[in-house]
Amino acid sequence: MSLLARTYNIFSFLGYYADTFLTYLIDSIIFLLAAAIAIILTIYFFRKYMARVQLRIGPNRVGKFGTLQLIADALKLMGKESILPKERDDFPYKVAPILVFAGLMVAFSLLPFGSFFWVGNVVISNSEVGIILLFAVLAIMPIGEMLAGISSHNKYALTGALRSVAKDISFEVPMMISVLAIVVMASARTPSSLTIGSVVSTEILPYGILQPLGLFVFYIAMIARASYTPFDMGESESELVSGYSTEYSGMRFGLFYVGMFGSILLGSFIISLFYLGGYNGPYEWNLGLIYLLIKTVIVVVISFTVWLSMPRIRIDKFVNLGWKYLFPISVFNLVLAGFLTLYLGW
Amino acid sequence: MSEWVDLNVGPHHPSTHGVLRLKVKLDGEIVREVEPVIGYLHRNAEKLCENTFFCDNLIYFDRMDYVGAPGMEVGYLEAAEKLLGIFPPERAVWIRTIMAELSRIASHLIWLAAFGLELGMLTPFFYCFDLREKIMTMFVEASGSRLLTNYCSIGGVYQDFNEKVIAEIEEFLRVSPKKIEEINSLFIKNDIFISRNKGIGVLDKETAIEYGVTGHMLRASGVEYDVRKAEPYLAYSQLNFEIPTSTKGDNLARYIVRVEEIRQSVKIISQAVKKLPEGPFFNPKAKKSMMIRLRGDGEVYARTESSKGEFGVYIVGDGGVKPYRVRVRSPSLRNLSVMRELGKNVMIADLVSILGTTDLVFGEIDR
Repeated sequence: MSLLARTYNIFSFLGYYADTFLTYLIDSIIFLLAAAIAIILTIYFFRKYMARVQLRIGPNRVGKFGTLQLIADALKLMGKESILPKERDDFPYKVAPILVFAGLMVAFSLLPFGSFFWVGNVVISNSEVGIILLFAVLAIMPIGEMLAGISSHNKYALTGALRSVAKDISFEVPMMISVLAIVVMASARTPSSLTIGSVVSTEILPYGILQPLGLFVFYIAMIARASYTPFDMGESESELVSGYSTEYSGMRFGLFYVGMFGSILLGSFIISLFYLGGYNGPYEWNLGLIYLLIKTVIVVVISFTVWLSMPRIRIDKFVNLGWKYLFPISVFNLVLAGFLTLYLGW
Repeated sequence: MSEWVDLNVGPHHPSTHGVLRLKVKLDGEIVREVEPVIGYLHRNAEKLCENTFFCDNLIYFDRMDYVGAPGMEVGYLEAAEKLLGIFPPERAVWIRTIMAELSRIASHLIWLAAFGLELGMLTPFFYCFDLREKIMTMFVEASGSRLLTNYCSIGGVYQDFNEKVIAEIEEFLRVSPKKIEEINSLFIKNDIFISRNKGIGVLDKETAIEYGVTGHMLRASGVEYDVRKAEPYLAYSQLNFEIPTSTKGDNLARYIVRVEEIRQSVKIISQAVKKLPEGPFFNPKAKKSMMIRLRGDGEVYARTESSKGEFGVYIVGDGGVKPYRVRVRSPSLRNLSVMRELGKNVMIADLVSILGTTDLVFGEIDR
């Protein structure tokens, strides 16, 4: 029994079409709200964690322990004037932050989150081509960044956008090849089509243990995707004032900000789904979501620690890293995965 | 269509330390030419000095290198006291030495914090400020003010060190070496940090000397020159310390030289606190009622080693109660002028890190 099926049952008296429509609508809304709350919690946790690392206290004025600080910040951003540069390209300028945010949210709705007590399987889309779709949607976000940089008509923003493109090209190829290694292993174990759910269900032994090289490459790619230090060349605030988001203010800037933390959370979810065993755990009693969340939080904490303790790498060095190291490593990992699957039957 | 993109870095830019403007010619990511433009913080300090009494001029020097104010005061008083012929008693000399070294540490810590930020490291910033806060509390205890201390005065210091200051300094000497190593390890043990700085912004010895570069940049280029050793002032001749030098001349060398300077300053303070003599802290010839009647005639030049390099003050007196002319040799200005050479054919990211190791304070450059 899944969340979808339960909602479907509730509305079944309405007939097939209305029922399907309402089910997907309501579940999507629930999902988006849950994702938004999760991102807000991530930002709150980041602030508190950063404060702890940096010998500070962190937000503690609005609400108990500063829990409402983010609501206050969001309200402040909404109330702010959105300053528009005069020579912008209007449509791409306005659509860019929305693309980033929308891509993120769609990517969230493609993930399976495991079962949770009476709710059942928490998943709203069970696409037959889940993995391809997920990474296709993830490729939308850089388009938003590029549009933002180019349409702002600002030299800093343009340089930031160019950097983003160079960065994206150099990490996406190794990332996809390391995902391919998972697909190779998973397809030998399950006869069903490659939904994300069926890939995760083959992880009796997590792929992170079978393919540590793949995990390494994929984790670096996820840092670069979320673009935080050490790989935040696109928006490096000490060099290019704020990179592609230089000319944005108000809620449009807020969307970029949320998009960044959302990417961290999303990357952590994807890593724990593909490499750390996802919602598989020692007891098979409807605790999948909890297992997944625990793994995700661990990955998030590791990501924040990396963020707070590393300087920024230079863009040419990162391109070198991508093509000269990550790419060969990921190809080697793919060959190794094929070998293990074909000849050893792992 | 021009071949280059002209880019104005600054005057309001996150990593230009206030109000530096760099006219940059960009070829993609690579900086082909860079031209520093200064003057956005000009406050006419040298001219203002001509209109006020010798004793009052001190406040303009506080506001020059505002991250290490006592060091600047010492620089001015070296010249002014020579001109007026009033010299501080032994205890005041030692107190000034301690304050100058404390301000050197405070200034270096600010530099370390900002340098980390420029490379994208958020955390060392707060560690440095946490340590600097201890020095600030000492300044408050000694002078009543945090940043612009206005502590030294002609003929001595404004008030004596009390027991609490001494206790705080001893506590600082106990705690700081460990903390400095902790902060240093955040930088030096990081491969990305090394790759961002090793071999970047190499300044050779000849260029450095031609441009009149002093301070850590000169020492990192292989010249062992420090005013504290070359021409000892205050109590430095009685103290045991070393001048860190390096022959590499790159960003990493400058970083290592500066961190070693912090360690040496801690060493100097620990010796000075032990040797601090008893006695008066103020020369009675310059008592408050006499202060504005002090007359200076002739011309003097005095140089001191501020945290940025050689800080020289030139004063001409015409026998009146106010100086006829005051001129300051600012170390940061010379260190900045070499930016034209260093900023050729480097990447934007390197330009920022070179700017970071130069350590500019605009209060002192523009004056």
